[in-house]
Order: sequence, then structure tokens, then C-alpha cells
Amino acid sequence: MSLNRLVVFSKSVRCKNLLTPLIGQFRSVTTIQSQRSFRTYARNLVYAKDLFLGKVNKAEVFPYPEIDKEELEEIKQFVGPVEKFFNEDVDSKRIDHEAKIPSETLNGLKELGLFGMQVPEEYGGLGLSNTMYARLGEIISLDGSIAVTLAAHQAIGLKGILIAGNEQQKVKYLPKLAAGQHVAAFCLTEPGSGSDAASIQTRATLTEDGKHFLINGSKIWISNGGLADIFTVFARTEVVDKDGQKKDKITAFIVEREFGGVTNGAPEDKLGIRGSNTCEVVFDNTKVPIENVIGEVGGGFKVAMNILNSGRFSMGGACAGMIKKLIELTSEYAGTRKQFNKSLSEFGMIQEKFATMALNAFVMESMAYLTAGMMDRPGMPDCSVEAAMVKVFSSEGAWICVSEALQVLGGLGYVKNYPFERFLRDCRILLIFEGTNEILRMYIALTGMQYAGKILTGKIKEMKKGNVGVVLQMLGKKVRESVSSTVDLGLTGNDGVVHPSLADSAKKFEENVYYFGTTVESLLYRYGKTIVDEQLVLKRVADVLINLYAMTAVLSRASRSISIGLRNHDHEVLLANTFCSDAYFKNNFLMAQLQKNAPENNDDSMKKIAKEVLEKRAYICSHPLERTF
Amino acid sequence: MNCARRLARITIRGFAPYATVTARESAKCLNPYGSGVQTLRAFHAGFGHLKDQSVSRGDGHPRHEGSLVTHDSLFEQAAVEARTKAMFNRVLEVFVRKDIRRRGHVEFIYAALRKMPEFGVERDITVYNKLLDVFPKEVFVPRNFIQRMFNHYPRQQECAVQLLEQMENYGILPNVETKVLLVQIFGEKSHPMRKYQRLMYWFPKFKHTNPYPVPQDLPQDPLDLARLSLTRVAADPDACVTVYQMPSTDVSETIVADVSLPYVVGIQSPEQRSLLAKHNASRPVFVEGPFPLWLRKTCVYYYVLRADPVPPEEKVQEPVDPERSFFYPLELDLDLERDLGDDDSFDVDEVEEGPIFAMCMASRGDQATLAKWIAGLQQTNPVLGRAPTLFRLESVSREIQRAGESEPGAEPGLEEEPPHRQAMKQ
Repeated sequence: MSLNRLVVFSKSVRCKNLLTPLIGQFRSVTTIQSQRSFRTYARNLVYAKDLFLGKVNKAEVFPYPEIDKEELEEIKQFVGPVEKFFNEDVDSKRIDHEAKIPSETLNGLKELGLFGMQVPEEYGGLGLSNTMYARLGEIISLDGSIAVTLAAHQAIGLKGILIAGNEQQKVKYLPKLAAGQHVAAFCLTEPGSGSDAASIQTRATLTEDGKHFLINGSKIWISNGGLADIFTVFARTEVVDKDGQKKDKITAFIVEREFGGVTNGAPEDKLGIRGSNTCEVVFDNTKVPIENVIGEVGGGFKVAMNILNSGRFSMGGACAGMIKKLIELTSEYAGTRKQFNKSLSEFGMIQEKFATMALNAFVMESMAYLTAGMMDRPGMPDCSVEAAMVKVFSSEGAWICVSEALQVLGGLGYVKNYPFERFLRDCRILLIFEGTNEILRMYIALTGMQYAGKILTGKIKEMKKGNVGVVLQMLGKKVRESVSSTVDLGLTGNDGVVHPSLADSAKKFEENVYYFGTTVESLLYRYGKTIVDEQLVLKRVADVLINLYAMTAVLSRASRSISIGLRNHDHEVLLANTFCSDAYFKNNFLMAQLQKNAPENNDDSMKKIAKEVLEKRAYICSHPLERTF
Repeated sequence: MNCARRLARITIRGFAPYATVTARESAKCLNPYGSGVQTLRAFHAGFGHLKDQSVSRGDGHPRHEGSLVTHDSLFEQAAVEARTKAMFNRVLEVFVRKDIRRRGHVEFIYAALRKMPEFGVERDITVYNKLLDVFPKEVFVPRNFIQRMFNHYPRQQECAVQLLEQMENYGILPNVETKVLLVQIFGEKSHPMRKYQRLMYWFPKFKHTNPYPVPQDLPQDPLDLARLSLTRVAADPDACVTVYQMPSTDVSETIVADVSLPYVVGIQSPEQRSLLAKHNASRPVFVEGPFPLWLRKTCVYYYVLRADPVPPEEKVQEPVDPERSFFYPLELDLDLERDLGDDDSFDVDEVEEGPIFAMCMASRGDQATLAKWIAGLQQTNPVLGRAPTLFRLESVSREIQRAGESEPGAEPGLEEEPPHRQAMKQ
């Protein structure tokens, strides 16, 4: 290992070129760029899913995605005014207090073009790539209410038209939406239906002339429900399927408020993001022309899935932006406040909190821009698992960081005179909306399991049958493993893509990936398709995968930074190494638990406790002061 | 070893009376005001057979019988005036004051124990303590090792054990006063003291063994009682009780019984409602009953609305709609089953029963009354209008036995098992 590194270093010294250790990286950069020009087919390379097989698809994530110089200049031009606007013209305290975004603020946002960030330029939007969208998201997130209003408008509200709408629909609606003349909202949730499509009650019936649908039903918790002029509504329609049977299927519609019959309730009084408008929207015989069906009749489920899956990655940037701001605010306090003649920043436990915040921000940022970069590659790559991981990691990280920041501030963080309690309230919603983190963990783990299962089924069946050849092969592999203790997936070494200063972390990552592959295999062997019901197992699988993806992101980013000599790259290396060793231990623990049976890893006990409590719907222990005699 | 044997003895002692009483009690529930005294006698005898040999009782019996008359008469005289706690206490006081030597106190205590249920003080710890107080103090405390080794004053000790035993049977936990009295009367290591210690060891442990406790005092109003019973049977926190018909009596009429309306109270959970909605209307639903439910000493009867189990050919396994969950797949498309090593399910022979759609209680078990229940249910369950309803009721209609009317005495603290009864009648 160290020899290897020496050789690499000596080589680099000889060539008088500090970048040669990353020859491999450069090579892959060139190949990807050359491919970019003519690749048009859908990519089947998948990074996160391959981790389930114990493989690292390094071409996907190394080197860290970059944007070219012009794009960078362009984004900087956007960032400046937006930042200025948010610093000077947005009064978050007032928005929070009055539970309303003032119209002059909204107008300012419209003028900056923030209502159509991802709408292509030909429809009057900014036409930003995912990367640039994430970058702007960092600033917008400084006010939770505005961020949610904008996200509900364009990340979900008009996304349906953008990704599944036809040309006429785009021409008709997108320009006004992009300009902010119209606000969009996404109407999926119903009183009886969150993530269960079967319980959607809103119904669209075809009128007798066959040219219109009549939509009836009510939708709840609709962000922008009170402001919106254009709704993406999901409703049940009767569809004749291929065997000639009538079936109810979900269809997506573009509904204008103008169509009539659209009413909304009073805005909900919320814990956080109070300035965003959330309310119930009721459709009463709303007449929608048949041209306003998004996609095809009965194809609404796919549309909804795609919309939901595509919007999540941006949360990483948003959370990172918020934490960066928090670090600035709290470190000032920690540097000035003195206790026992020492400033707070000299106390170990306070230092630890800042390190946690920096680490989290760094990891989130890395994951978000890695994912955004992957999504920006041509060929519509499917990065929904990656995006879900970014969402889960960053929402939970943000919650922890805000809470740590509040802890540093003590009582100051708890009062309404300072913005910190608002940050805390605002960021609680991140764990809930756009698919709760629990549901997304299921998605992450099951999608990977499905992928790995397809590939491994044959092998596992052979093993179960007791095929001697396969078993011997397995045994041989096990023996080889035990003899050679290191796992080499090719991240380091001659063809390596990771900078030598991160080699240790890369090795840990490789080891984790390898054992994750074997763990997944044994899980599939043990549970087969019934793993769907093993939620506690799936949760751990998802956690390991999230850690692995986060490790990938930081390794890739720090390698790039050090190679091109970004400012403070040594700090990045430090962060990356710290995070990786921490994640390595967590992963090992989780995987050790995964290899055990339910009684050993406490799963059974947890379930039993919950069962007994839920049976009585109360905490059932006697009071400690009770006596029987 | 010795411990184990002793434990076993305790268990036998403890439960044998229950068994006798339970059988007796259940037989009696058809015939209230049965022979209470007899019950207790049988219970004495049962106890006596199992009694520790070391506690001699040989000469006690005939005298016991003989003196019984006088002491019983003491109570009977009092009973003529009033059967109250105060009167019982007065009898005790009279006895204590009558003779400084407390002659015949063992017989008196036996008699008092027997009379306690009659005076309604069988669950009163203070009365038991007062009764213990009848024993002269310090006389029976062994003074040397020989006395301690042998059974010192066996009749008195046996009597005290008997008293504690009766407390045990009524589920009365001794208190500190009991302990102090026992120490004063028999000393630290006597048989009654041992009995006391065993009681104190086991009673608290068993106090909360019943996960479905029945309140000590059942509601007096039959409607409330029905509510309580139905929620108990349904065992579903979501189930809601509906009163389909309030009981009412037309007071102005002379023939009250004919105009009085029976109450009809039913319970149905949302889950049962959806089950009923899925019921195939061409198959009948059955109203069956009455089924007994025991609440302490009260037996109430309920009726169920049920159907036969769905025949296998009608059962359709609905495939999971792939377009059901917006966020994650509900099923994996894999050809791998769970490994045997991770299959934690037991191999249990399961007999499938038909679904039960609702339960009800009514003060009259005739078809006309229950039809009102079905009519009420029909408002929320329209399928009942289409499906044929068959009444399969047991011909013998029984009155609901109320707590107050039930047999006093005998078995406390435990849930009686109702005698097994074939409830279904075609």
C-alpha cells in the first residue's frame, strides 16, 4: 500500500507534474467528455444499484462532475443578484410572523426569474441545469417559506407539464408559469390517501360529448393551494384495459382555476414554513378539456412517480446552504461569548458541534452536486435512488445541525428575537414532505434489492439446490477472502481515481462496499421476496447505502479539489477522511446487525414492545410509585 | 425439595377450594339463593382432606360441632335484627366481653367465619382483623425449643390458618395489623405466620395476572352493563357501541310487562363493517345466540351476527396493483422464497371460522327484538337488506342475572369459567 503510494509519488515528482497521480482520472474525464457528444441512448449505468452487488461503478462518479467555465460564469451572474435580493429584500421574520409572503417579495422573485428556473429558455424560463438549480436552491433555502413556495411551484407543480406534457401544453402554460404570472400547485394528497394510489377518491368522469372531464373531489395539504392558478391534479378515471375490462386508473390533468368549481380552504396554521400557503383544494364538477390530460389517460401514476422522483436531489443543496449560514451565525457567537475567561469556541464540546455541522454541510453538498451532475449528463439517467438518498441524508443532517446550532446558542436560540428557532421549525418539514424519510428508505432499499435480486436469483437458487460447483466456488471465494484481507475495487493504485491522501478512506469504502455486496446476497438468500415485509432490515440496508453513497461523494469531491488545487482543499481532505472513518464504523455495525437474526439484533424485541403498546394504545407500565400491598 | 413440596401443598390448598366452589357456583347460577352454608361445609371438608398431617384436628371435630350451635345462635339472634357490619362487630364485642378467658373462642371464630358472607363482611379486612383479635394474646407463643419444634396449640393455629385461608379465598390481602396480631398471638414462626408470609408472597404477584380485569363493582344499569360487556367481547378500541333501542316502560299501563320495550345494544367495529360490506349477498347471514359471558358472578348473554366461512372457490387473491404505491414497490418481482432458516412461523393447524360482523345484547332474546337490531344495523350496512338473515336462537330464553341478585359468598377474585355449553343450535 504505502509502497504503492511511494511509487506514485516518485513518479509525480519525476514528471514534475502534480496531477499525474490522477492519470486514471484524467483519462476517464476525457472519455466521458468524448462520449458526451454522441451518447443519446438511455444510460444503463447505475451507480447506487451496483453497490448492492458489491461493485463500484467508478466511471459514473469519478471524477466529480464539473460544469464548464461559461456555465460557471453564468451561474455566478445569477447567484449575485439572488443573494443580494435575499439578504436585503426578504424579511423572513415578517414572513414567518404574518404567515404570508408579501407581494413585493413575490414580485422580486418573479423578476429574478426564479419561478421558471428549470423551464427551458424557449418557454421563457431560465433553462437551468440541475446543477445550477441546486446552486440557486442553496440561496433560496435561506427562507424556508419562499423555498417551499418555489419548490411547490416548479419542482412538483409545473414539473408534470415539463416532463410529460405535450408541445401544445408546454406552449400554452409554461411561459406564464415561468414568468410567475401563474403559480402552479401539485394536487395528489387526499384525506384518505398519502402514498396509496388505491385510496384516491377524486374522480374524473368523461362528459357525454367526450371532450371534457368533470373532476370531483378534494385534495388536502396542497402547497400554494390558495395562490395557484394552475393545478396538476391526479384523479381516478375509468379506463378500458387490454383485456377489455373497465378499470380505474389514475390520470393527471392540468386544471386552471379559470375552469370553475375550484375552491380552497383557509391556509393551514403550520409549525414551520409558515409563510408558504398550504390548504385544502376542492374540485366541484370542474370541467377540464380533454387536451389537458398530461401524458395519456390512465397514465397518471407514472407521471406522479416521475415528478416525485425528480425533485428530491435539490434538498441537499438547500440544506447545505442553510447549515453554512448557520455556521456563520453561530460561530460569531461562539467566538465572542466568554465563560470562565475562555470563549465558547475553546470548549471541546462546542468545537465538536461545529465539526459536526461542517461535516454535514460538506457531505450534503458533495452528494447534492454529484447527483445533480449525474442527472445533467445526457441520456436522462435514472438517478432516483441517488436523489432519494440525498433527500434522506440532508434532511436528517439538517435537523441535527440546526439542533446543534441551537445548543451552542443556548437560550438565545430558543427565543423568537433570533432567527434560529425559525430555522429549527422550518427544517422539521424536510423529513416529512416529498416522501417521508421512512418511505424513501423503503424505496432506496427495495429498488436496490430488486436490481440485485434479478441478477443473483440464478446463483442463489443453485446454492439452495445444493449445487456442489456453486457451493465450492463460494467456499473458495470465502477462503481467498480470509487469506487476502484487503479488498481492491480499483479506486486506488495505478488505475486509481482517488487521490493518495484519501487512499485509506477509499480502502475503507471499498471494504464496506464489498461486504455490503455479500450482505445483500445473504439477505436475498435468507428472505427472498419476502424482504418487503422486513422493514427494519430494509432500513439498515438503506442506511448503509446512504453512507456508501455519501462516502463516494466526499471521496470524489475531495480528490478533485486536491487535484486541481481548490482553496482549502486540505480541509476538504480532512473532512472527507473524518467522515469516511466514521461512516466505516457505522456501516460495519449495521452490517453486523444485518447478518444476525431478528432475536439477536433486537428487532424482535422492538417489534414486540411496539405491539404491546399499540394493542393498548398507551404506555402500559405501572407507575413506579404503584404498590400491590 | 422440601420447598417444592411445600409449594405444591400451598397450591393444592389454594386451588382445591376454588375448584369445588367454582363447580358449585356455576351450578348455582341457575338457582340463586342456593344453600350457602352447605357450600362452605363442603369447602371445609375439602380443605380438611388436604390438610397438613402435623396440624392435628382429631378431637376438634366433635366439640366443634357441638359448640357450633351456641355460637351460631349468637349470630342468628343478631341476624334477626340486622345483617350489617355493625351488628357483626357487636357480636364480636359481646363475645370478647363475656368471658375474660375467651372460652370457646376457636368455635366462635369458626362460626363467625361461616356467618361472614351472610352479614356481607366477607371482604372486609378490618372485620378479619377484629376476628383475629378474639384470640388471647401471648398465650400460644411458644416459649422453648420443644414447643417450637412441636405443634404448639394446634387447634388455635389451625383456626387462624383457616381464617387466613378464608381471606385468601375472598382475595383479601392481609395488612400490617394482621401481621402484628399474628405475632402477638402465635409468635414469629408459627403456622399462621407462615400462612401470612405465603399470602404476602403470592398475592401481590397474582394481583394483576388477569390482563382483562373486570371492575369490582359492575354497573347497575343494564344498559351500561351491556356496554361494558360488549366492549369486552369486541376487544377492539375502534369498535363503537350503538344503542338501537332504549328500554322504556309505559308506567301508566297496568300490565307493565307487555308494553315495556327491551333494550337493544350493539357493537360493530369499522373493520367488521368493511367485512360485512364485502359479504356475498346471496349467502345468508346468521343471528346466533345467546352466548354466555361471565363478569365476576354475573352472567350475561350476547348474540352475534355471523356468516359461514367463504368457500375456497370464492376466495380471490387480489394481485397487488403495481400502480398502487407512489413511492416504493409493494412487491419485489423475484423468484426467491424465504429461506427455511428464517421462517419463524409455527406450523399450526388453523380451523377457519366464519366472519363475525357484529355483536349485540338485548334484554329479551326473541326474534322480534333481535330483528330490531338487524334493522338498525342495516342503516350503516346496506348489504343486510339484500342478504337473507336467519335467526338461529336457542329456544330457552334466559334472564340476565344481575350482580345484586347473584349468590353471595363463595368464590371471589377469580374469573369463573362458565360451564361449557353447546351454544349453536340448528
